[in-house]
Amino acid sequence: MIRLDGISKIFPGVKSLDNVSFEARAGEVHALLGENGAGKSTLIKVISGAYIPDDGTIYFNGKKSKWTSPKGAKDAGIHIIYQELVLFHELSVAENIFIGEAPLTWFGTIDYKAMYERAEEILDRLGHHIDVQALVKSLGVADQQMVEIAKALVGETKLLVLDEPTAVISGREAEILFERIKLLRDEGVCIIYISHRLEEIFSIADRVTVLKDGQLIDTRGIEELDRDQLVGMMVGRQLKDVFPAKKIPSRQVTPVLAIRNLCAPPKVKDVSFNLYAGEILGIAGLVGAGRSELAHALFGSIPRSSGTVTLDSEIFNTPSPRESIDRGLGFLTEDRKGEGLMMLLDISANISAPVLSEFTTVTGLDRAREVQVAKDQIHRFRIAVPSPGSGVSTLSGGNQQKVLFGRWTKACRRVLILDEPTRGIDVGAKVEIYEIIRQLANDGLGILMISSELTEIVGICTRVLVMREGFITGEVEGSQIIEEVIMKYATTESDSVTTGIGDVLIK
Amino acid sequence: MNDVTVNLAKGASRRFQQITQFIAPISLLSLVSIATLLQPSFLSINNIQDILTQAAPLALVVLGQAFVILVRGLDLSVASLMASAAVLATAFNATSDAMIPVIFLVTIVASACVGLINGLLVTKRNVSPFLATLAMMIVLQGIRFYYTQGAPSGSLPEGFRVLGAGRLTGIPVNMLVFFLFFFILGWLLHKSSFGRRVYITGGNPKSANLVGIYADRVIIICYVISSLMAGISGLILVGFVGTVDNWVGRGYEIDSIVACVLGGIMLNGGKGTLWGAVTGALILILMFNIVIILGLPVQAQLIIKGIIIIFVAGLFSRSIQT
Repeated sequence: MIRLDGISKIFPGVKSLDNVSFEARAGEVHALLGENGAGKSTLIKVISGAYIPDDGTIYFNGKKSKWTSPKGAKDAGIHIIYQELVLFHELSVAENIFIGEAPLTWFGTIDYKAMYERAEEILDRLGHHIDVQALVKSLGVADQQMVEIAKALVGETKLLVLDEPTAVISGREAEILFERIKLLRDEGVCIIYISHRLEEIFSIADRVTVLKDGQLIDTRGIEELDRDQLVGMMVGRQLKDVFPAKKIPSRQVTPVLAIRNLCAPPKVKDVSFNLYAGEILGIAGLVGAGRSELAHALFGSIPRSSGTVTLDSEIFNTPSPRESIDRGLGFLTEDRKGEGLMMLLDISANISAPVLSEFTTVTGLDRAREVQVAKDQIHRFRIAVPSPGSGVSTLSGGNQQKVLFGRWTKACRRVLILDEPTRGIDVGAKVEIYEIIRQLANDGLGILMISSELTEIVGICTRVLVMREGFITGEVEGSQIIEEVIMKYATTESDSVTTGIGDVLIK
Repeated sequence: MNDVTVNLAKGASRRFQQITQFIAPISLLSLVSIATLLQPSFLSINNIQDILTQAAPLALVVLGQAFVILVRGLDLSVASLMASAAVLATAFNATSDAMIPVIFLVTIVASACVGLINGLLVTKRNVSPFLATLAMMIVLQGIRFYYTQGAPSGSLPEGFRVLGAGRLTGIPVNMLVFFLFFFILGWLLHKSSFGRRVYITGGNPKSANLVGIYADRVIIICYVISSLMAGISGLILVGFVGTVDNWVGRGYEIDSIVACVLGGIMLNGGKGTLWGAVTGALILILMFNIVIILGLPVQAQLIIKGIIIIFVAGLFSRSIQT
């Protein structure tokens, strides 16, 4: 279907693509893998006509093709669905599907009847049923994604590129998405699929192409590979080298944090558990299971309706983030840009933010000490920045995350809550973050780690709680921490969770 | 768009951001040069003092407005509050200078209350700053008109004139008042931890809460600062003019916002300096002065102000895009 031959693309200072050859066939799902900066996006932009390659040839449908604009590629039958959806929220599903191409009556007005009918036809073809007259804003993200895919089916799409489509949807929704994708594949559409998540590559891809540092590593059939090999191709190292060795803390009598019957409507229901110093307690579950809300309720950033929280044998029930911080809690949120960093401020200000009063003197803020602390943290976490005075907006995701670790390790003395600590950062940076988390636990912090990536839950946690629909449905320890067990607790009805595999439900 | 244009656009926006930092000081310098060319006596100490005396009331309001804009707000009630503070001060009908501290205290406390209400509306009731302070502007205006019945008649003790028009060792008192607050508020914003909280809150209110900053409190304090500055400015202006009318400080709500934006304070919060905002105020006042020097009708000031607003709005929309 499409064949790229010796494509190179050079940006000032960087060879973003270096003599890459790549081929995807009609009727296959071809996964494109690589760390951030490996050249995936550049390759997609070459295919979409957004970039013109400096060298090499593109063959599409057997013909030598040269697009000078995204429109050229679109007319040829290439449709790209980006991670950030481009939908008009105040318009209906059908209007979005036919945006710019609405069927007209002979008065020149939009023929809504025909539009609705054709929109339904297209959604039928996808096997996905949503009300075509509903406003897009009333849909969930997964349905909105289907609308994006439906847009691709208005014209004759021969090649569909999906850029990290599962980054925003839950496990179950992803399964539905995969079914739809397979449907299109069986119709003969060529699908190029980009993702960070290895698990799903194995459930959807037919072949895999791995890029690293702008170069082609290999293209292989999925059945020839296992997960360790795949990671090895991506990062140039083995999976066992990704996670630091687990260290189970010695059994303590008093937990550092004890939670009993915590409720925070509507998402957190009757949650009880203990967290011990030195342990990395994972919280697994599907997106929407109430994990982030639990963290917020603990930290005091959303209100609780009932329950008790005990930190170091001291009860505190009416918390605010301020009080939580003062008592030794830290909370690294999942939304790095929206709820974490202050993009307009420099690194030192980002690090000192939770403990400003420590830096306050009679004459004002002690800038010198603030900068010194920032320097220490930059050194400690090997943050790649020119100076403590540099802004945080230009840093890579991994370095931004390390700044947040710098912030909370300065402020936090007892318990650190981590919500998706490695979201959207490349594997190399992930390895460093895992080491940091391990080290913090060794130093005696209690770590509560929420993650949607089962690999890292399994790889780093010494105990795991599983949440579903606001309840804790299971707890696993030691050798029981495997993906199958966790997924079962995360998805099945609580009644059937009686198989006894390590389910120590605290009542 | 190919990579060349992408890179060009990126370079341009970076360059654009670098340029915006210097727009205010450069335009101030060029305005001073123009004025000096037109009128060589412009740079005389007397004239500079005159201009700063004229600028002081606006600059005071700008100091407060800057705090509010930095936390993503807007204070449209400042001008109305200036006039109301002035009317309140004259309502005592005091003749003895001994009353001055009382008048001062009452006016300032009343002004602070206005700011408190603005701040509470914006934070606790989630009213948009535009609507909350617009409503406050109208309410204050209504109260003022009701009280004065359209023709303010109160009077002030003679000593009050010193505040607006007097001199202390040769330096205009109102200039001294301005510098006093410029240093206090400058320290507060740029050196104290409260100032850091202002920038954190303005830059990212959600993060502010999660690092334990009571963002609502910070915002409320900013509105109180703005109202305090407006109240003080109203007292100074009435001392300068010598008589009170219902429209003391008319137009200062827009002027102060324009000055802030001209001076590089971002309307979506979290960025800008007090120094920049004051530069913005000086630019406006200089513009008006040049109109006078050129012998143009006073109405031309309005036209120029309008053009500046359009220019500033253009700057603003570009700063959002980048």
